[in-house]
Amino acid sequence: MSFPFRTPRRAVVSAAGAVAAVVLLAGCSAGGTGSEENAGEPVSGGNLVYATGDAEPTCLDPHVGGNYPQALAASQYLEPLVSKNDDGEIIPWLAGEWQESEDGLTWTFTLREGVQFTDGTPLNAEAVKANIAHVQDPETASSTGYLALQKIESAEAVDDLTLKLNLKAPDSALLESFSMPWVAIQSPKALERSQEENCAAPVGTGPFIVEDWVKQDSITMVRNENYNSPPADAAHEGPAYLESITWKFIPESATRYAALQAGEVHVIDNAQPDTIAAAENNDVIKHLDAPRPGASNRLELNTSKAPFNDPLVREAFVRAVNVNDGVSSLFFGTAERSYSPLSSVEPLGYSDESLFGYDPAEANRLLDEAGWTERDAEGYRVKDGERLSLEFPVSTNQSIPAEQSLFEQLQATAKEAGFEIKLNLLDLSSWYGALAENDYNLVSAPYTKVGPDVLRILFHSDSTVPAPSGYFANLSQVKLDELDELLTKGSETSDPADRAALYEEAQKIVLEGYYILPLYDQQNHFLYRSEVSGLRALPTVSTPAFYDVWLNS
Amino acid sequence: MSGSTPEQPAPGRPALSDDGRGPARTLADGVRLPTTVRWLLAKVVGAVFVLWAVATLIFFGIRLIPGDPAEAILGGPGSQASPEALEQVRRDYGLDQPLLVQYFTQLGRLVQGDLGDSYSLRMPVAELLGNQLPGTLLLSALALLVAWLLALGLAGWSTLNGKAAAVVASGLEIAAAAVPHFWLASILILLFSNTLGWLPPVSTNSADGLVLPVLALALPLAGFLGQVMRESMLNAMTSPFALSARARGEGETGVLFRHALRHAALPGIALSGWAFGSLLSGAVVVESIFARPGLGRTLLNAVTLRDIPLVTGVALVSALAYVVVMAASDVAERAADPRLRAA
Repeated sequence: MSFPFRTPRRAVVSAAGAVAAVVLLAGCSAGGTGSEENAGEPVSGGNLVYATGDAEPTCLDPHVGGNYPQALAASQYLEPLVSKNDDGEIIPWLAGEWQESEDGLTWTFTLREGVQFTDGTPLNAEAVKANIAHVQDPETASSTGYLALQKIESAEAVDDLTLKLNLKAPDSALLESFSMPWVAIQSPKALERSQEENCAAPVGTGPFIVEDWVKQDSITMVRNENYNSPPADAAHEGPAYLESITWKFIPESATRYAALQAGEVHVIDNAQPDTIAAAENNDVIKHLDAPRPGASNRLELNTSKAPFNDPLVREAFVRAVNVNDGVSSLFFGTAERSYSPLSSVEPLGYSDESLFGYDPAEANRLLDEAGWTERDAEGYRVKDGERLSLEFPVSTNQSIPAEQSLFEQLQATAKEAGFEIKLNLLDLSSWYGALAENDYNLVSAPYTKVGPDVLRILFHSDSTVPAPSGYFANLSQVKLDELDELLTKGSETSDPADRAALYEEAQKIVLEGYYILPLYDQQNHFLYRSEVSGLRALPTVSTPAFYDVWLNS
Repeated sequence: MSGSTPEQPAPGRPALSDDGRGPARTLADGVRLPTTVRWLLAKVVGAVFVLWAVATLIFFGIRLIPGDPAEAILGGPGSQASPEALEQVRRDYGLDQPLLVQYFTQLGRLVQGDLGDSYSLRMPVAELLGNQLPGTLLLSALALLVAWLLALGLAGWSTLNGKAAAVVASGLEIAAAAVPHFWLASILILLFSNTLGWLPPVSTNSADGLVLPVLALALPLAGFLGQVMRESMLNAMTSPFALSARARGEGETGVLFRHALRHAALPGIALSGWAFGSLLSGAVVVESIFARPGLGRTLLNAVTLRDIPLVTGVALVSALAYVVVMAASDVAERAADPRLRAA
C-alpha cells in the first residue's frame, strides 16, 4: 500500500513563514499535492464518519491510563512534540529542534513559534513543562505516558520557547517516547480543570476539536480553523479539509463492514481478515494496512516453571506447531509471518527464520532427549507421572477470532508431538488474573510502543517484578544478566550504530533462547470508501491521520 | 420507593367488587386494607427484597471473577499501569477498603438512591441509565408488541387452515424459538443491509433504523409465544363453548375472534413478564451488533470492565423493570380472565 503523499516537508518553524505558507496555500488551494493515486483537487468541507471497533475510551485525555483506543481518537485533536517519517526518522512536530547533551543527561527542545491551543493559550515551554508534570503526577493515573517519561527528573523553561529536561539516566528512547500520542501536549489551562472535565474534552493544538461526546454512541470533532502546526511530513498546511468528524463506536465487525458498504460510514478500523478478503472484490472499498510498532504478536513461553524451564522443551514446542499453514489459511493473506520480537515497522528489528521451522521429527527427538519419553492413553507425553500439559489463557478482547482459530490449529499440531494445550478463553480482567497468579505456560500479549526500547520492558528481569496489581510485562519471565545489561545499555546509547548493535544482540538472545514464538505484526487494518482521499496512518503508532483527508463527492 | 398509605374502604362497599378487588380483610391492629392495597404492599416489599438481593449478588458475584477493577479502570492491556497509578485509583474508588466495608458503603448509598459514579465512563450512573434506558425500553416494548402480533397471527392462521398449516406453523415457531439472537441479527444485516441494501445496519431511533433490531429480538420470542398461544387456541376451538357458538350459527372466523382469541392470549399475557426479561437479556447482544446505545450494551461493557457501580445500576433498573412488568401482566391477566377475579 503506498500513500498519495510521501514527500516530507520540513516544518516551517518561524511564525512569519507559517503564516505566509498558509496564505499561499489557501490562495492556490494546495496546488502542490501529488496525485499518484487519488486524482483530483482536495475539496474542503464535509463530515467524515469513522467507525471504530476498539473499546470506547474511558477518558479522551490519553495521559490518563493510556491505551490504543485513546491514541486513535487523540491523534485527531492532540499533537506530540515530534513525529516519525516513513523511513523511521524522527521529524519535527510541535518541537522544531532538539539537542542532547554530551553526557545524555540534558535535552533541550525548541518549540515551534506561533502555535496556540484551541482555547487560546499559547504553546510555550511552560505549557510543555506542565504536561510533563501532569503525566508524572500520580493523581493523573497515567501508565503508558508515565513509563515513557520515567527518566525525566525535572524540566525548566529556559525562555519562552526553549525547554530543558534533566534526566536521571541517558534515554536513547526519549524522542521515540515523545512521538507517542500518550504524551501529546495539552493546554495547561485546560489541564487545571477537574479530571472529569478534561477527560470529556481535552484541549490541544490539533486539526480538530472535541465538541461533544455521547457515551456509547459517538464523539463529534470539528475543524480547528486556526490550525497551523502540521507535522513535517504532512501533505498540506493550514486548517484541515474536513469540516468535522463523527467518531462512532460500532463494536461488531460485521456491522462495521455493513455500515461501510452502505455508505453510512467512510472509514472503519479493526477490519478482520475475512472482511478484508471480501473487500478486495469491492471497487468502492480500499484497504490500509498499518502494523503497529513495538513488539510483534508472539507467544511467550513461561520459563519460570515446568515444562518450559527446560530449553529443550521450549524448542520442541516451537518445532511442533505449524504456524505458517495456520496463518495463511486463517488470515487470507492479510498477515505476514514474523520471525522477530519486534514489529516489521521497527527499523532495528532482527529476524531469524531458521530458528522457527515446523519440524515434527525434531520436536519428537527433543522431547525424547528431555525425558518426556512415555505417552498416555490419549497420546500425550508423560514424565514422572505428569502429563506434558500447557495452560494457555487467551484474552478474547485482544485475540481476534482468526487468532483464536490459529491457536486451535496450533493445539492440534502440538498434540501430534505429545503436547496438551489447554486453551482457556477469558475476558480481559480474568486474563489478567490468570497471569498475576502465574497460572499460564503460554500467553499472547500485545505491546505497542515506538522504538526498540520495548524490548527492555518485555525482557528485562526488572519487568518480572509484578506491580501491585500483579501484572508484569516480562511474561516469558526471562532473567539473564547478559540480556539485562544489553537492554540497559541500549536504552542509554544514542549513537545509532552502537544502539543497533546492542539491540540486535539482545534480540538474538531472545530468539535463540526460544523464549518466544513470533507470529506476525500487531494487526491494524483500516478499510475506507473510495471517496476518501489522502488517508494515511501516522508512522508513529499507526493511528489514522485525518488532517490531509478530503471527501470527493 | 416509599410505602403507600393504606386506603380506608368506604363503608358499605360490597365484599366482592367487579373491578378485581377481593373481600376486605382485617389486620391484627384492626386497620382494614382492601385486597388491592395488600396486593400492592406485597409487591413493593417483594420488589425491595429483589432489589436488595440483586445488589448483594452483583456485589459479591463480580468479585468472584478474577481480575482487578483498578487495572481495568486504567484502560487494560496496552497500558501496563504503574504502581502509583493503581494505588491512586484504589484510593479514589475506595477499592483499598475491606470488602464488607465496601459492601455496606455501597448499600448505604443505594438506600439513599445514590447509584454512584461509573468507573469506566466517569459519569453518575443515574445519569447514564437515564440516557440509556429509554432506547432499550422502546426497543423491548416494540419487540414485545411485534412478537405478540406475529405469534397471534400465526396461531390464528394455522387454527383456521387445518392440519397442514398447523405443521407449518409449528415448524416455524420451533425454528424461530431456537435461533440465537446474535446469529439472527447477523443474518438480518447480511440480507437486508449488505445484499438488498434496504435497511441500515446501524440502528437509530428512526423507523427504518428500528426494524432490524426489533425483528432480531421479536422473532425468537414470537416462536416461543406462538407455541403456547396456538395450543390454547386449538383447545378453545374444540371446547364446548366454541361448539355452542358454532351451533348458534357463528362462522369459524367469528368463533376465533370472539371466543378463542381471549383464551390464546392468556398464556401469552402470563408469559409477558418472563418475555420482557428475556428481551432485556437479548438486548445485550442485539444492541452490540446493531451498535445501538442502550442498557444491554452498557451492561456488556460494564461487566468487561468490572465497573461495579454501573453493573449494579443496570441490574437494579432491569430488576425493577421486570418487577413492574410482572405486576402489570398480573393485572392484565386478571382483567382478561374473569375466573381469576373470584379466586
